[in-house]
Amino acid sequence: MALLWWLLGIFLLIVIIFAYYYNRFAVLRNRIDNSLSQIDVQLKRRADLIPNLIETVKGFAKHEKAAIKAVTEARKALVSAKGVVDKVKADNQLESALKTIFAIAEGYPDLKANTNFLELQRELSSTEDKVAYARQYYNDSILTYNNLYTTMPGAFFAKLYGKKEKEYLKITETERKNVKVKF
Amino acid sequence: MARVDFHDQISNNKWKSFFLMAIIFIVFVLLGYVISFAFEPGFFFIIMIISIIFSLSYLLISYYNSDKIAIASVGAKKATREKYKQYYNIVEGLTIASGMPMPKLYVMNSPQINAFASGRDPNNAVICVTTGALEKLEKRELEGVLSHELSHVANYDIRYMTLVTVMVGMIAIISQIFLRSLWFRSGDSKNNGIFIVIGIIMAILAPIIVQLVQLAISRKREFAADASAVKFTRYPGGLIKALRKIQIDHFPEEKKVNKAVAPLFFSNPFRGWGSTHPPLNKRIEVLEKM
Repeated sequence: MALLWWLLGIFLLIVIIFAYYYNRFAVLRNRIDNSLSQIDVQLKRRADLIPNLIETVKGFAKHEKAAIKAVTEARKALVSAKGVVDKVKADNQLESALKTIFAIAEGYPDLKANTNFLELQRELSSTEDKVAYARQYYNDSILTYNNLYTTMPGAFFAKLYGKKEKEYLKITETERKNVKVKF
Repeated sequence: MARVDFHDQISNNKWKSFFLMAIIFIVFVLLGYVISFAFEPGFFFIIMIISIIFSLSYLLISYYNSDKIAIASVGAKKATREKYKQYYNIVEGLTIASGMPMPKLYVMNSPQINAFASGRDPNNAVICVTTGALEKLEKRELEGVLSHELSHVANYDIRYMTLVTVMVGMIAIISQIFLRSLWFRSGDSKNNGIFIVIGIIMAILAPIIVQLVQLAISRKREFAADASAVKFTRYPGGLIKALRKIQIDHFPEEKKVNKAVAPLFFSNPFRGWGSTHPPLNKRIEVLEKM
């Protein structure tokens, strides 16, 4: 009955392959979801740093109402934004408002030298880097998923399991243009 | 100048290192095969068992403690977040870009620009950087170096190279046992003779050959780590500038660095020694194409 063993073996192999692809899609999908929430984590950190920054700036340059308002507004927009695309857009707004504040701070030597201010500036800069990395990783995890989705034999299983192709996080053309610093 | 995609670079070098590993394995099997013809199978079996026991013990001990051993052997100190903010910030950013957990960070006192990573998997990883690197490198250059080190962890290079080292070690042990045991052979049948000759030749050449192959594997993994570093930072310029700085950095040979740990380092801490790393020129050349 050697034939029976062979058939059993082949059957087992097929089951394993089907399970592997099912699991692989699940794992990659989870990774994408996780990386999305990572972007949220970094954006939240940025938003949390802003109130402290505003207070410090007000302590030295409270007449710069327009710039301070811009940052406060941008932060509000960031916190209330829904969906990753809107959140990233709001973060871009925040970044340009911050650039204005930091440029203005150049004219206030006391503010510029304030350790709290410097610390916040550094933190905000590093969280901006981290937001960028989180977005990059999100797109990378989508690439991995799409690679599996579009190549064989993944494509076959994708059809079978009803998977859909995923979209990258895109920046619209207007945001790609260099943001001008307004005084 | 043809552009190179870092994804391809990563996978090409991983495949190359895999095939080189297969060569070592084939040498191992051939050696065993020839020896088993030269001796009775029973004796050969004993040789195999002994070498496996030695290698496995070495493997398990060094593998599970690779991070601690590496750190201890160079006298590195834990880096505190307060004192090394930029170092922590950079690595945190990279762990986000790579989806990896945060490794433990260490600093070692040395004027050379260098760094290494160790640990059997990403959850038990350490990265160590020299004070020279922290002082002499700009932020994006340091980021390139740290990204390269993190890549070693991400590519499981420590596990990989340990495996290779073990196989090379086993071949060396088997060869040694075989050569030494020739003294104690009683007069056996003559048709073993040819295999004994082949066995001797192999026992002498095999360890040398696989050592060279091991170095070749190490170089391929280094190229892969450079490419992975670019994958995380998406900025080859940082790493290129750091490598250029290392090129012009002149220092007397580091006495503290143990030869066993040297392959882990970012660039050869010994100048003109064996080539665990590809030449700096070649690395820069490849990076410039990305």
